[in-house]
Amino acid sequence: MSFRERLLAWRYNLVPDHAIGEILSKRWTDNAIPFLALVITVAGFGSAIPGFFKLYSLQESTRQLGELSLVVIGVTVVMLGGGIDLAVGSIFALSAFAAVSVFFIFELPTWLALAAALATGFLFGAINGYLIGFMRLRAFITTLVTLIIGRAGYDILVVNFGSRVQMSMASSDLWDFIGDGTLWGMSVPVLTALILAIVSHVALTRSRPGWHVQAVGGSRRSAHNAGIRVRQTVFLTYVFSGLCSGAAGFLFATRLSGAGPGTGHGLEILALTAAVVGGNSLGGGRGSVAKGLMGAVIVLVMTNGLIRLGYGTGTNQMVLGMLLAVAVTVDIRWLKNRHKVLNEVYVAPVYLKMGEPLSAVPGSGTPYELNNRLSVADHIGLGELEGPEDVILDRDDHLYCGTRHGEIVRFFAPDYTRSEVFAHVGGFPLGLAFDRDQNLISCVGAMGLYKITPEREVIRLSAETRRSLTSIQDDARLRDPNDLDIAPDGKIYFTDSTKRYDAHDWAVDSIENRGTGRLLVYDPADGSTRTLLDGYRYTNGVCMAHDNKSLFFAESWRCRIHRYWLEGPKAGTAECVIKDMPGYTDNINRASDGTYWMAWLGMRTPSFDLSLRHPAMRKRMTRRLPQDDWLFPNINTGGVVKFDENYNIIQTMGDLSGLSHPMVTSMREHKGHLFIGGILNNRIGRFRIEGANPAWDANDAYWGKRS
Amino acid sequence: MILDPILDVFRGRAITIPPLDGAFRANTGLDDAAVFATLPGADDLCRHASGVLASAGRGLFRLRTGAAPEQVETHPAPISAIAASGATLAVALEDGTLIENGAAVARPDGVSCITALAYGPDGALWLTNGSDRHGPADWANDLMERNSAGSVWCRAPGGGWQRVAGGLGWPFGVLPDTKGAVVSESWRHRLVRVGGGRITPVLRHLPGYPARLSSRPGGGAWLTLFAPRNRLIEFVLRENHYRFDMMAKVPRAFWIAPAMSSGQSFLEPLQCGGIRVMGVHKPWAPSRSYGLAVRLDADMAPEISLHSRANGKRHGTCAAIETEDGLLVASRGGGMVLAPNAGEGA
Repeated sequence: MSFRERLLAWRYNLVPDHAIGEILSKRWTDNAIPFLALVITVAGFGSAIPGFFKLYSLQESTRQLGELSLVVIGVTVVMLGGGIDLAVGSIFALSAFAAVSVFFIFELPTWLALAAALATGFLFGAINGYLIGFMRLRAFITTLVTLIIGRAGYDILVVNFGSRVQMSMASSDLWDFIGDGTLWGMSVPVLTALILAIVSHVALTRSRPGWHVQAVGGSRRSAHNAGIRVRQTVFLTYVFSGLCSGAAGFLFATRLSGAGPGTGHGLEILALTAAVVGGNSLGGGRGSVAKGLMGAVIVLVMTNGLIRLGYGTGTNQMVLGMLLAVAVTVDIRWLKNRHKVLNEVYVAPVYLKMGEPLSAVPGSGTPYELNNRLSVADHIGLGELEGPEDVILDRDDHLYCGTRHGEIVRFFAPDYTRSEVFAHVGGFPLGLAFDRDQNLISCVGAMGLYKITPEREVIRLSAETRRSLTSIQDDARLRDPNDLDIAPDGKIYFTDSTKRYDAHDWAVDSIENRGTGRLLVYDPADGSTRTLLDGYRYTNGVCMAHDNKSLFFAESWRCRIHRYWLEGPKAGTAECVIKDMPGYTDNINRASDGTYWMAWLGMRTPSFDLSLRHPAMRKRMTRRLPQDDWLFPNINTGGVVKFDENYNIIQTMGDLSGLSHPMVTSMREHKGHLFIGGILNNRIGRFRIEGANPAWDANDAYWGKRS
Repeated sequence: MILDPILDVFRGRAITIPPLDGAFRANTGLDDAAVFATLPGADDLCRHASGVLASAGRGLFRLRTGAAPEQVETHPAPISAIAASGATLAVALEDGTLIENGAAVARPDGVSCITALAYGPDGALWLTNGSDRHGPADWANDLMERNSAGSVWCRAPGGGWQRVAGGLGWPFGVLPDTKGAVVSESWRHRLVRVGGGRITPVLRHLPGYPARLSSRPGGGAWLTLFAPRNRLIEFVLRENHYRFDMMAKVPRAFWIAPAMSSGQSFLEPLQCGGIRVMGVHKPWAPSRSYGLAVRLDADMAPEISLHSRANGKRHGTCAAIETEDGLLVASRGGGMVLAPNAGEGA
């Protein structure tokens, strides 16, 4: 191995490149940019302004922050629902005025002042919501109109009644406490904002109305088609926003005990900037309360900081405007390009030097020599079936297979010309096995381990195992359950091929070649699932040895077969028993003569083997070429290999014509015939095996004769 | 985007290939064509006074309607090009020998890779030398080394050999006319006009690797392309480490390189799009080999084309000529001479 190659091997096998793609595919990465902006803003102004972090100044700032946060939460919810609310400034001012007038002019109790403020907020929110939600007016223009009208109304009221407020002698301890006091070191506005933030976060992410809001914002039409009452949902978001502004207005009124001409002026810009800077999408459907709060802190720190640094209102507005522009640009570019970036960086190949295989070329004289014998197989279900990855027969000789439509299809003995959908599971049913009670157990790609009873009831057995400590993406869920076999005690041993790709992208996993395949066991006694082995390059077929003391499993991308010991001195350990095959190993099943059948899903090619030693080249390939042009292992030619207890290769069969069985993913011996399945094929093959025991039925071999 | 040139430094340049559109719109013209003769290794064609001649391996064959080809000559080395003018016949062998009317004649110094021969209207003999570094059989090496060491030579009647152009990337066809000659330059996917010491492109961005050219009776020409452009191959051509490793360690038949035929062995490289799904091999799948004959008008603009697509077998089309009986196309990968109905092209 050259020095360069060794260096490459270290570089690509030790540096966890795959983490970048996994982090990027997390939804919380959306928060990364606003969070960074938050840290920079706070740190920047904190160091530029002496005494920025002093308690009193923080206290004052946080009161303001609490009020702004309330408004921002409201705006965030409206934006999540796909709208925009410009009227918050005037609603805020009118609510403040309502509270002040109730308290000072009519000299009524504080709680009535709160009620008046909330009622004002509700009324204006409802007007907005009615016009936009039910009358289908444009959100921008409508709220602009309510902003202007509300503002004008407020100005008239302040001019006419402002002096009466100032002359009033009304006072209340509660009023003063809300405006000035603290509870556990926190001011009332902050506390209110915090509580509202938590409640609305939970409501948005974990309640039906919250999901409806996000669904409507994501796509109105889809939401409508899904049966969500779109108009009502939109209406409610504006009402919520109005109530938030009302509450904020009340808190403002208690803090200043009055309402002046400038109250709430420019608040809509502030709130909108905060919501967008925090990372809430203007297009709707994407965002969170947390983002809104981050934005509120950024905007407030920035405006207050600028004022304290001695800059005037003009500069302040200018900075806000620019901030908004930057945030909107980043939001749109990120939204547009995130999946492209993810696509480009997700595949993170590793280095592997495969062992030199024995040749499978016809005439090479090795036990792996491929021939054309499978091409004479009779076909079953030609043109009706799509993707029978595994095939199995029951005690009545009926034939079962999965299809890519998520169905288990049953072909009726003896001629297998009639078929029916035995059960619809969903996902992509792959490996199949019958248990002692004639239940059909299946590994369903993208879903988990399922049981189908003879009465066709579909029961989920397992969809997750324990999460590993270092995982970024949740690897508890089973992404690509592939094949299984059942021990006499009922324990189900099965494989989950990869943590990195979904079941339908299984072939792409070969390009990355990262070892993330697992061997798991499901215990029917307590319903638990445990991970036995991890870190194999695409674990695939599983088969109990004839004596049930160990099991075989295939590691596809390394062309190996391993043996995992259940009993004896090596119990709990695995060893590689056949390595460096010329083909990619797939399902393994018992043969009637005490040996084993194994499928090759494809053949190694020298160019692909070489590319495994050039991970950088593979990475560039995935970034620069469309997937159709990627170099793949040759999965257009497969075969069936028979090996014995001592790992000798007894026989190899193939279909070099490529016409009937180009790829073989499974085979099942039953009463002297071999049934052949292929995940990308459109048929099942039936092939008469010379010299096989014509009475042998795997169900008897596993579970004894039918009683 | 305006930033692309800067970003390309970090992420690499996009790999684009010309689409099969316009005159190159895909059809099954070659796949549906009648087989005129079965001739394994059929490579070059020419019109001789005695009939249509075809070269295949070491043999020279006369094609006959409704009968098997008649072998008229056998040479000690495989034939790499043939040309005829009336009863005059020129044959080039892969070892560099040039034979005219049965006798070896002088060839230019250093030329040992004759890929095409043609007689001009004035009787001058033109030849293309694919590369200074490799023989005709090693064309794949020449491409993978990214050489442009080909040249074009002309011998005026009664004169000596004159070098007309050099520095070409595997010239593989020549069509002399009164002003010089049009040459197909395979590695650069274009037709160029040579003469007067200049090389001028006349048709660029071909969707494949152009092979031989032949004149049509009524003006214009037939051009064949023996392999398609393929993004993976173009990508590998930029990947120096992988490419040289591949040339050193992988047998040539299994390289990621254009080929005269593909799908023969399971050891050949496979691309994702070439996977057989539900028994179907997509005709538009990326492929290493292809069959394509193109009719050019008098200005060398493509008019119609005939295809054998990724799921076909009549690939490696290296020569096409039009006779009184119609069009004949030699498919080296398919081992046959085809008689397509040219009117069926699109």
